[in-house]
Amino acid sequence: MPITILQPSLAPPPKPRNDDASDSDSEGGADLEGDIAMGRPAKRARTQDSSIMTPGEIITDDPQWMRGHGTYVIPGAQSNTILSSVAGTLAKTNKLLSVRPLRARYTPEIGDLVVGRIVEVQAKRWRVDVGGTLLAQLPLSAINLPGGIQRRRTETDELQIRTFFSEGELLVAEVQQLYNDGAAVLHTRSLKYGKLRNGVFMSVAGVGGGGGVVRARRQAFTLDISGTDEVSGSEKIDVVLGVNGYIWISKHIEGEGAAAESSGPGITRIEESVGLNVYSSQNDIIPVDTMREIARVRGVITALVENGLRVDEEMVIKGYQEAVEMAKEEPDSADTLWLGGERGKRLTNALVGR
Amino acid sequence: MPLDTSTYNLALLRVDGRRWNELRDQRGQMGVQPSADGSAYLQMGNTKIQAIVAGPNERDASKTNSSASTAATAGGLGATVAVGITVAPFATVDRKRRGRNDKRLQEMQTTLAAALAAAVQGQAYGPRSTIHVSLHVLSQDGSLLAALVNAASLALVDAGVPMTDYLVACTAGSTSSYAAADEAADPLLDLNTQEEQELPFLTLATLGASDKVVAMVCESRVQLARLEGMMATAADGCKGVRDFLDRVVREKGEIMVQEGAVGRGEVVSSMDLD
Repeated sequence: MPITILQPSLAPPPKPRNDDASDSDSEGGADLEGDIAMGRPAKRARTQDSSIMTPGEIITDDPQWMRGHGTYVIPGAQSNTILSSVAGTLAKTNKLLSVRPLRARYTPEIGDLVVGRIVEVQAKRWRVDVGGTLLAQLPLSAINLPGGIQRRRTETDELQIRTFFSEGELLVAEVQQLYNDGAAVLHTRSLKYGKLRNGVFMSVAGVGGGGGVVRARRQAFTLDISGTDEVSGSEKIDVVLGVNGYIWISKHIEGEGAAAESSGPGITRIEESVGLNVYSSQNDIIPVDTMREIARVRGVITALVENGLRVDEEMVIKGYQEAVEMAKEEPDSADTLWLGGERGKRLTNALVGR
Repeated sequence: MPLDTSTYNLALLRVDGRRWNELRDQRGQMGVQPSADGSAYLQMGNTKIQAIVAGPNERDASKTNSSASTAATAGGLGATVAVGITVAPFATVDRKRRGRNDKRLQEMQTTLAAALAAAVQGQAYGPRSTIHVSLHVLSQDGSLLAALVNAASLALVDAGVPMTDYLVACTAGSTSSYAAADEAADPLLDLNTQEEQELPFLTLATLGASDKVVAMVCESRVQLARLEGMMATAADGCKGVRDFLDRVVREKGEIMVQEGAVGRGEVVSSMDLD
C-alpha cells in the first residue's frame, strides 16, 4: 500500500472555550511571545475602557491629586505618582482619589448600625466581633441599665457585667467613635439597640463580594407577614441589616427592637420603657408561622447575595413579596422556603426584571 | 533519563514540548469560596493550588494554629501575615500523608510569610490584626513555591488587602547540569517536576513587573556564571505571571461592574483639571 502524503493545510482556527464566564482562561499558556517581549501592562496607558484598578497600577502622576484609601505613593520618590494598592474601582471626591476595593472586610464609620457578637468580657467593657479587621469595644458606660436608671456605673455593675452581655451573645449597636487604628467603639444607649433574641442571625459579605449590605437611610425595618394566607392575624418580622454584613431577622415585639425608631418614647421617658427584661436571653414563644416566614426572609437574603444583588430594605421587602408569590404558585410543594439554585435565580430575575 | 543531553539539544524542545522561555498553561479564579474573606484557585501546568485568606482580624496567630502556620510582620508596625500550607495526600504520584511538622513545608511557610509581608501594606491595619493565608496543594508538578506565592497573591487581592503590587514568582533552571559546558547551558523557565529533579533551579519572587526581588530560593548547586541568566529568565517569567494574574482580576472586576455589584469607576482625565 503506497503511502500518500497529504498537502499541508492551515490549522483550524482555535475554538472559543466555553468555560465558566468567571473562569479566566484567556490565552491560557501565557506564552512569552518570541524572546522577551513582555511589556509592562500596568504601566502602559489603559487602552481598554476598563475602570478596574489593580494593585501596582499607576492612577495618575499629576501632582494636583491627593491620595485616599486604596492608594499609595512610592515612599522617598520625588514624583507625585499615585498608585493603586487594591483591586477595585476609582472614586473621586473633589481632588481626592481613592480606590474602592471589589471586596474587603468591613471598615467601621461613625454612625453605622452594626450587629455584633460578644467574644470577650473584660473588667469594664466587652469586645465585640463586628466583622472588621479589629474587634470593636463596648464600654460598660455605653449601655442602658435595666429599668432605664441614669447613674454612674459602679463596682457593683462591673461585678455583674455578665448579666448584661456575656460571651457569644448578639447585639445591635451603633458606632460611636473610631480609634486611629480603625477600631470602633460602640454604644447601645437607645431603645433601638441592645441585646438580640427571638430570631436568627446570618452573615453576608461585608463590602462588595457581589452584593452585600449597603449603607442606606434605614438599616432596620419591620416586615408585615400578614399578607401570606397561611399566617393568621397580623404578625410582623423585624429585620436588622447591619452595615457590617451581619443580619438579624426576628419576631417583632410591639415597642421593642431596632425598627421601633421614632414610635418609641423620647429620652425623657426612657425609664418607663426600658423594661427590666431587656437583657434577657430567653426567647419568647414564637408561632410556627412566624418561624417559617423568618426562614423565608433569610432565604430571600441568601438568594440576593448569591446572585450578586445589593441587600437593602427595598430589595428585601420586594424579594419577600416575590417569594410569597412564588410559594403561592406551587401550593403542593413542601419546600417553598428553599430559595437556592434555580429558584433563587428566578426570584432575583423577577426582582431586577431581567 | 537526562533530558538535557538526549532531547533538548536536538530540537531545543523540553519534555513537555515547550521552548526554553515558555510558561506552562495557567488558569486562575478568584472568589472560589464565597464564605471566606478572600480565596483563589491557581493552576500552573499540573500544579494546582487553592488559597484561602481569613482576615485581617484580631485573632492571635500563635493561639489559633501555632504548629500549622508561620507568621511574619508586614510593614514595621503593621499587621501580621500567617501562612499555613497543607499538601493533600493525593497531590503527588505516590500517595503519602505529610505531617504538620514537615521541615520543607515549614521552610516554605517562613519564606512565603516573609515575602507576602513585604508586599502587603500592613500598616493600614495596625499590629493587632493578623491575615491568615491558608494554602492547599491539590496537585504537585514542579514550581510549587512559585505557584503558592501566586495563589496567595491572588487570594489577597480578592480579600481586598492593600498591596504594593502583585507578588509573583516563577522558577528558572539551567540545562546541562555538568560543569564543563557553560556556553551550551540554556536557562529554562517554569520547570515541572521532572525537570526539577534533574536540573539546578531557583525560585524567584518579584514585586509585580518590576525587578524588585522579594524572595529567591535556590536549593541546588549551580555555577555562579549561570545564576544571572537564570534570574533574568525567572524575572521575565514573573512578568508573564503578573500579566496573567492582572487579567484574572480585571475580568472578575469587569463582571462585577457589569452585574452592578460594585459601582462603576471614574476615570482620571486631564479634562477634570481646571
